Amino acid sequence: MSYPEASPSTPQLFSTLKKDNYFDLDDIIVCQEKVTCTFQSTVHRLGYIDPGSNKEDIQEDAKMELPYWLAKALCTRKRKIVSIEYPNVYRSSYLQILAADANVVDLHKWGPSYYRLGEKLFNFEHDESRPLAEGLLQAFISRFRKVMDSSQNAQYQDTYQLTEKLDEIERKIFKSTRQNVEDFERWQVGKSNQLSTSEAILSHRKRKHTDDNVS
Amino acid sequence: MEACEIEFLAEDSIVTVLPNFSENKIYLISGDVGPFNPSMPTDLPLWLAIDLKQRQKCRIQPPKWMNVETLQELKQAENDSALFCPMPDPHYIEITQLLMNCAAEDIPHADEIKTLIKDIADLRMAKLKKSMDGMIKEKATNARLDNLSMMEINLIRPLLTQALDQSYRLQCLQDEQLQLAGTE
Repeated sequence: MSYPEASPSTPQLFSTLKKDNYFDLDDIIVCQEKVTCTFQSTVHRLGYIDPGSNKEDIQEDAKMELPYWLAKALCTRKRKIVSIEYPNVYRSSYLQILAADANVVDLHKWGPSYYRLGEKLFNFEHDESRPLAEGLLQAFISRFRKVMDSSQNAQYQDTYQLTEKLDEIERKIFKSTRQNVEDFERWQVGKSNQLSTSEAILSHRKRKHTDDNVS
Repeated sequence: MEACEIEFLAEDSIVTVLPNFSENKIYLISGDVGPFNPSMPTDLPLWLAIDLKQRQKCRIQPPKWMNVETLQELKQAENDSALFCPMPDPHYIEITQLLMNCAAEDIPHADEIKTLIKDIADLRMAKLKKSMDGMIKEKATNARLDNLSMMEINLIRPLLTQALDQSYRLQCLQDEQLQLAGTE
């Protein structure tokens, strides 16, 4: 097998990668994830946003957990009302755990969409963005083998144990591979061209004639 | 794509049959077949051959490659080579399965052939998995895989496309970080 030279990635591609997708439900869910923000200036009359304070204004240096979509709007190059911190699981201590052995990590616990939120964090300028980019890529690569093997070899058993620790993207890959392999196995034993009665019909009970109905 | 859809495509391959009836040419949309004369070898699409066989109107001649010696050589070659060997037919898995199901008595050493084909398919699948793993590890975004059959490609399609997609996204982000670091 040969690996032809990949075309170098271009700046345009980066921007399309980072854009939020308006019509993608998964993307909308990821945008709800909370990011810790520190306010850089006083914001008047919005104190009610912070449930922990009863002041009228948001003070400078106030810390607050804001959803990603709000943080993104407040922290741009032109207008820096807040500065953001990466969530714990994207900081160097957690990245070290990933680097040590990504296979044993329960990524679903770290964040159901660990990779996707990670990708989104590159919209913010942050000192730790470089190690994060490396960490995410390495983690995905080293976990891929496990995803591939378990999805191709799992028998018709409960796959919950296998997918429990996978991130949403890995689960999606697992699920579609699983379906594909099952379809192939069904074809191999000659079951795919047999028609079967639908569950709904099988479990449907005929109405019985009762004496009341007959009359 | 589902396995039975690929089987449907495989049914268009041509096989040779020995009919036991006479009939003039039949004009079909996909092409004309016949004329049929008893014991005169005739080329037919596989789906028609299977239909005739099921009505016991013909005997199917196995394709040239479907014999024990050829397949054993093929298996050996596949075993020795690190790359994928060209297969005699792009639909070898499907054709074998179809013929074994309806015309096993027309094929000499049918059981042996079935096992050999299964072995070859397994060998290739193992090789494929190994190269997929290598591919992701090498951070390749594309690769050349020659001589794969349609069924094999279909088996890895969802896994490989999605995994490569995701690894490429992460790679782009990393490249960008490196470029940013370079400009500073």
